[in-house]
Amino acid sequence: MSQDEIRKEDIQAVYPTVAKTIADALGCDVDQVKLDVSLIEGLDAESIDFLDLVFRLERAFKLKIPRGKIIEDARGDLPEAQFEQKGVVTEVGMQRLRSFLSEVPAERFATPMKVADIPRLFTAETFCKLVVRAQRAAATAG
Amino acid sequence: MSGHFRAYSFVDKITQLKPGERAKGVFQVPAHVASFPLTLAAEAAGQLAAWNAMACLDYKVRPVAGLAAEVRFGPEVRPGQRLDLEVVIESCEPDAVSYSAWADADGVRVIELDHSVGPMLPMEQFDSPQEVRERFELLCGPGAPPGRFAGVPEHDIEIIERVSEQRVRAILRVPKQAAFFSDHFARRPVFPGTRLLDAQLGLALHFTGGWQRRPSDARLAVTRLYDTKMRSFISPGEVLELSIDFAPPSEPGKAFATTAVRMNGKPIASGKLEMTAVRSSAP
Repeated sequence: MSQDEIRKEDIQAVYPTVAKTIADALGCDVDQVKLDVSLIEGLDAESIDFLDLVFRLERAFKLKIPRGKIIEDARGDLPEAQFEQKGVVTEVGMQRLRSFLSEVPAERFATPMKVADIPRLFTAETFCKLVVRAQRAAATAG
Repeated sequence: MSGHFRAYSFVDKITQLKPGERAKGVFQVPAHVASFPLTLAAEAAGQLAAWNAMACLDYKVRPVAGLAAEVRFGPEVRPGQRLDLEVVIESCEPDAVSYSAWADADGVRVIELDHSVGPMLPMEQFDSPQEVRERFELLCGPGAPPGRFAGVPEHDIEIIERVSEQRVRAILRVPKQAAFFSDHFARRPVFPGTRLLDAQLGLALHFTGGWQRRPSDARLAVTRLYDTKMRSFISPGEVLELSIDFAPPSEPGKAFATTAVRMNGKPIASGKLEMTAVRSSAP
């Protein structure tokens, strides 16, 4: 297993806390939170809710999670100018996004996609993966 | 007279500044105002953070109300007192500023905000970047003339449901016109999040005033807010539904509640509050 691979067991280990944190942040019932639910389209999340959610996840998991981490990680080593142009994700950028957000069904990657619309793709699983990566980064940092 | 930088501006002078790191400032509460709610002291502390963040990012963006992980309340501020404000910026990025801030009156801590976050939006939507820059230079130099603030109107609030010691719901009618709209903000009038908080706190205090379970010689005071969040702008004339749900008693002398605000059926603000019994004779 590579260090970057996130297994189902990794997701399941953090999911109950992530689901409860999402429910608390969005003021919804935890039963409404499913692994594949889009937070914006399925649970009416606003941009401020993502900031709130990241802060709550930091507290819940005692981790540091930089803001904008999902998009930054999706871009990886790709220069910003190759990832997006004039606020629109490039074709290379879309490939990166599809690969990084592998939990999101292919039909939801509409093109052209504005960078500002990327959070529309985020699901509960996206945040589980964010937590797992942050946990690994913290463990690596010692 | 324009209310810009007068009607809802609570920093008179910035006395120390390190952009993106920290700042100190002062605000003289005018002696002629009827009262100065602690929510306005919170606004003052938040505005000092906003000045720091705007200067840090060259006035291209400005923060708006977003999240407050915890707000702690001290004793009331009296008209005529001076607020000494201080802010520590935790991070200042083009998308959001994160900070902690506090205000003292005559050496007594009256308000403390921990881990507040203000999302950044384009300055031009809210104000003239040039006028804001010039104002900042004035605040960092000789300071603004004191006594500009003339008070805020009382809330137009109507209780629509009351379940004894458990739940209260009310309608808050946001004024169509008010002096603070010309200052918050000059290009886009928005009902301040701290006015909304003030209405919620007033409703909680009014509701708990008749409770049997508080000690007979004490009243409940709001001592802490946490997980406070604003999700939407509120325009003049909006009608809001406020609700406060109290948790079953769990700790002597304390009450805990969750707050929610809906606008056009949609949740736009939420939070939690803690109330503590204080002797009625206490200031």
